[in-house]
Amino acid sequence: MNLISNICSTLCPQLEDGEEARQTERAIDASLRFPTLGLIKGAAVWLVIALAFGIVSFIKLVSPDFMGDSATFTYGKVVPAFWNALVYGFAFNGGLACATWTIGRLTGKATGLNITLVIGIIAWNFSVLFGLGGIFWGDQTPFSLLEFPPYAAYMLLASFALIGFWALKTFNKRIFRSTFAAQWHLVAAVFAFIWILSVAIIMLYCAPVQGVFQGLVAAWYSSNLLGLVLFPMTFAALYYFIPKVFGTPIVGYRYSGIAFWTWMLFTAFSGPAALVNGPVPFWVSSIGVLATFGLLMPTTTLSIQFLSSLLGNFSNIWKTIAGRFLLIGALSFTLYSLLSIYASWRMTNEVIQFSLFDSGLMILGLLGFVGMTLIGGMYYILPRIVNKSLPSNIIDLQFWAQSFGLILMVGSLLYGGYQQGALLNGSSDSSLVTILTVSQSFLFVTILGAVFYLFGAVAFMVSYIWVTLSSRSETEKSAELVKASSDLEYSAS
Amino acid sequence: MNRGPFIFIGLFIILALSWAYTLDRPQAESGKLSPIGSSSERMPRETVGLAAKGKEVYQEMGCIACHTQQVRFESGSDIARGWGERQSVARDYIDQNPVLLGHNRIGSDLTNVGLRYEEADVLHQLFYNPRISSSKSNMPSYSFLYEERKIIGQASDNALVLPDEYAPEEGMEIVPTSKANALVAYMLSLKADYDLVEAPSLKKVDLK
Ligand code: HEC
Repeated sequence: MNLISNICSTLCPQLEDGEEARQTERAIDASLRFPTLGLIKGAAVWLVIALAFGIVSFIKLVSPDFMGDSATFTYGKVVPAFWNALVYGFAFNGGLACATWTIGRLTGKATGLNITLVIGIIAWNFSVLFGLGGIFWGDQTPFSLLEFPPYAAYMLLASFALIGFWALKTFNKRIFRSTFAAQWHLVAAVFAFIWILSVAIIMLYCAPVQGVFQGLVAAWYSSNLLGLVLFPMTFAALYYFIPKVFGTPIVGYRYSGIAFWTWMLFTAFSGPAALVNGPVPFWVSSIGVLATFGLLMPTTTLSIQFLSSLLGNFSNIWKTIAGRFLLIGALSFTLYSLLSIYASWRMTNEVIQFSLFDSGLMILGLLGFVGMTLIGGMYYILPRIVNKSLPSNIIDLQFWAQSFGLILMVGSLLYGGYQQGALLNGSSDSSLVTILTVSQSFLFVTILGAVFYLFGAVAFMVSYIWVTLSSRSETEKSAELVKASSDLEYSAS
Repeated sequence: MNRGPFIFIGLFIILALSWAYTLDRPQAESGKLSPIGSSSERMPRETVGLAAKGKEVYQEMGCIACHTQQVRFESGSDIARGWGERQSVARDYIDQNPVLLGHNRIGSDLTNVGLRYEEADVLHQLFYNPRISSSKSNMPSYSFLYEERKIIGQASDNALVLPDEYAPEEGMEIVPTSKANALVAYMLSLKADYDLVEAPSLKKVDLK
């Protein structure tokens, strides 16, 4: 039944003349140009800022007197600033850039410049700024990935509500009633974020729960923030952009539904796994661990879908700009997901708990999977909304710097974190200072990797500025530069 | 098929169940604990006065980036390292708002740090410059919580006692600010030296 209705709606766009389709696309792009460009700019700037904080924090672990006299930039403030700038600054701006554009395109008609969306985006970025200011000012909370002070959390919720309102309203105006995998994930991400942030605000700030249960709420929030919000936004980017870039459908698309629901279900319950052996009721953390194992199912499906679609086009990947970023993103997803399942296995968890292994995983998830995929998506969008070609030399440099930096950072933190954890949790033989000397030897590699990634991020900013400011060449003035894209998100279903 | 509403309903159910089973139920089950005993016998010990201010400094400075406050029993080497004699349980945290569990251990667990240090001086020296006592430690120096000032008349009683190479110039002294005093008071107040039925200390268990 599903299939039939999908086929019906598939027929409509194909009946349209290619030229006419391109006209609609241009109208949609024009109506989204301002907000999408703003979001891409935000992503680029926040990525550079976040990485700068990251590098400072890693350096401080090796040489604690680096900027040691500064009360503002003390380690305990730079670390939350790093993660929060990375998540709410970079990942959300990048995710929303891909999301607004994808929702707009899939709605199938131009909806006009929407002032709610623009205000929401500006307010969002100001909230992030306020939140970071709050951390440095001394108002941080101890909840991971929500270290922003409460007032910034309220602001985030309010500004996201505006963006979410636009997204759902636009989704509702779609001209094809049947929906596509990218849309499920985007709608889910919007809905889930409003839900989880409201729950966190109520249970932590308005009517705070007792003691250790705040830790439980925080673990639930941070795990869902990744699993139900940022990752679905990124899945949507893979579902939407892979067929667009290569002109081939997603392999095994019909399993998307089951992958979507199992992913959402198991992720929603996996949060408490972070509190294993902690002072919470044993059964809660066990639910978390079990749910994490359940993630093996959607992980397999999603990985097969993305990786076989990408590898099937392997020879074309290097000819496209967006494609290679998507490849690194998809590879990072598979690795991330498998490693987090491995990490929640009792035997492993006993070794790595409280070590830097966790940071390595987060970097793989945020800079690898989310970061690389979204950058790929943004590079697909950019030439279309400004009708200019990309500076491929700079982007080549960016791609290699980021990939190399990613490998160094993730490799050193995972391997080193494992060593550190083994010494820390295994026995009490080695003192903390001995363990430090072990961790510091691999932290040098982490710093090097972060510098490479930062270099790539700067290149990202440069190429953004280049694209927006350079004067147009003859082809760029004409409408021929961008060809009508295939309607694959329809025919693939 | 128009899947719009279907997605919302499905997600709503998933999120509601996840909230009910992983947040609300455990909270309803053991999230309304009350202290045992009162005044000096009270378990857990109350953090009041200067120590409560110090907890705010701890939070503001982000000590949580490196220090946990939870002793594990089932796994890890917490007890062997002398970080505590028993596992931390929910009742230990009932007064903490916000809770400072922590999830990173670059430094030690601080649940019982007040049992390991008796004097404020040692802690002041640690916060002023952790490299004095442990040259390879990577704990940041919190020297900005201390004030260097000219000795006028008699030297202050609170002035830090520092080894020669760290000592200030002649005629100068280093004194803690109110934040530093509060932080030290908080550290000294951290001790879970009471037994709870739900987590008897290991020594007691051995005796039985
Ligand atoms: C960069 C990580 C880091 C940060 C941030 C940090 N510490 Fe530490 N801390 C350490 C390390 C490492 C040690 C252990 C050093 C040693 O054993 O010589 C330590 C030791 C301590 C000790 C002694 C514990 C014991 O068992 O003897 C106390 C007390 C302490 N820190 C308190 C604090 C406070 C309070 C803050 C925040 C103002 C803080 N630390 C911030 C890394 C850190």
